[in-house]
Amino acid sequence: MESRTLPVSELRLLLTGVSEHGAQHLIEVEADLMQTTFLLSEAIEKLGASFMAIHEAVTNQQQELEVFMARNEWSKEDVKKLDGFKQKIGEEVNAAVTGLQFQDLTSQLIARTIRRVNGLKELLSVLASHGQEIDAEHEHKEIAKLLEEMNHSLSTRSNALEGGLRRAVNQQDMGSGEIELF
Amino acid sequence: MAKTILAVDDSGSLRQMVSFSLQAAGYNVVQAVDGQDGLNKAKEKTVDLVLTDQNMPIMDGLTLIKNLRGLGSYQKVPILMLTTESSDEMKAKGKAAGANGWLVKPFDPKRLIEVVQKVIG
Repeated sequence: MESRTLPVSELRLLLTGVSEHGAQHLIEVEADLMQTTFLLSEAIEKLGASFMAIHEAVTNQQQELEVFMARNEWSKEDVKKLDGFKQKIGEEVNAAVTGLQFQDLTSQLIARTIRRVNGLKELLSVLASHGQEIDAEHEHKEIAKLLEEMNHSLSTRSNALEGGLRRAVNQQDMGSGEIELF
Repeated sequence: MAKTILAVDDSGSLRQMVSFSLQAAGYNVVQAVDGQDGLNKAKEKTVDLVLTDQNMPIMDGLTLIKNLRGLGSYQKVPILMLTTESSDEMKAKGKAAGANGWLVKPFDPKRLIEVVQKVIG
């Protein structure tokens, strides 16, 4: 019985198509990630500047109030109330400083994703890189060999990519991290 | 006299938050953008404490620590890692390189100051 195989030219066309379409989508993913990085970077710069300005203004306001309090007689209740506000502001400032570190974590994750996207683009190029002629008499065997070679190449590159993408950010929330003194 | 802390991190926003927190507690802060910059600044003036990130371009935190420990003036200066890395493996590497402590990001300013005060007063 004659063995039936995919027509070689169509198979090549299919693999090249997968490679080209895949690469095109990954280029778009990379562009979006780069844009996200840029926007996050600009956002944190503006947030940081606003935060510093607000903190400075509040600190100045508190100092003025303290001067005012020293000059005038304030009831114990009012002094207690102002101390309460001061403490609350301090707590919120601490929380804001912790929260404002989001860009450091997210930029590392995005950079890792961009490296993976570039690795995937290289992986996909394997599919379009096998252009050698196939002997028509041994078509079935040759196609099997071609696919095996591609599979091996994909596997090798995939392992190499994974090895170069160690995960440095495992945080799942913005709660402050643990501290250990040696 | 206020003590000086060298804060090494490639993230501008992180350096800003670290500096803000430490300065509010009365410390002087010298900033460096990567390990090599940190090493250069540490050589210019001996600081009281080094607070460094791990993953940075040009020179990472572990390499910086090894280089600093190789300098006579930094053999006993406390060095703390402030990094997103939280694995036991990385902590062990930090300890072996000469780090005195490990703080996982994000940091809480109050807790950071408590640790710094405990280490250098």
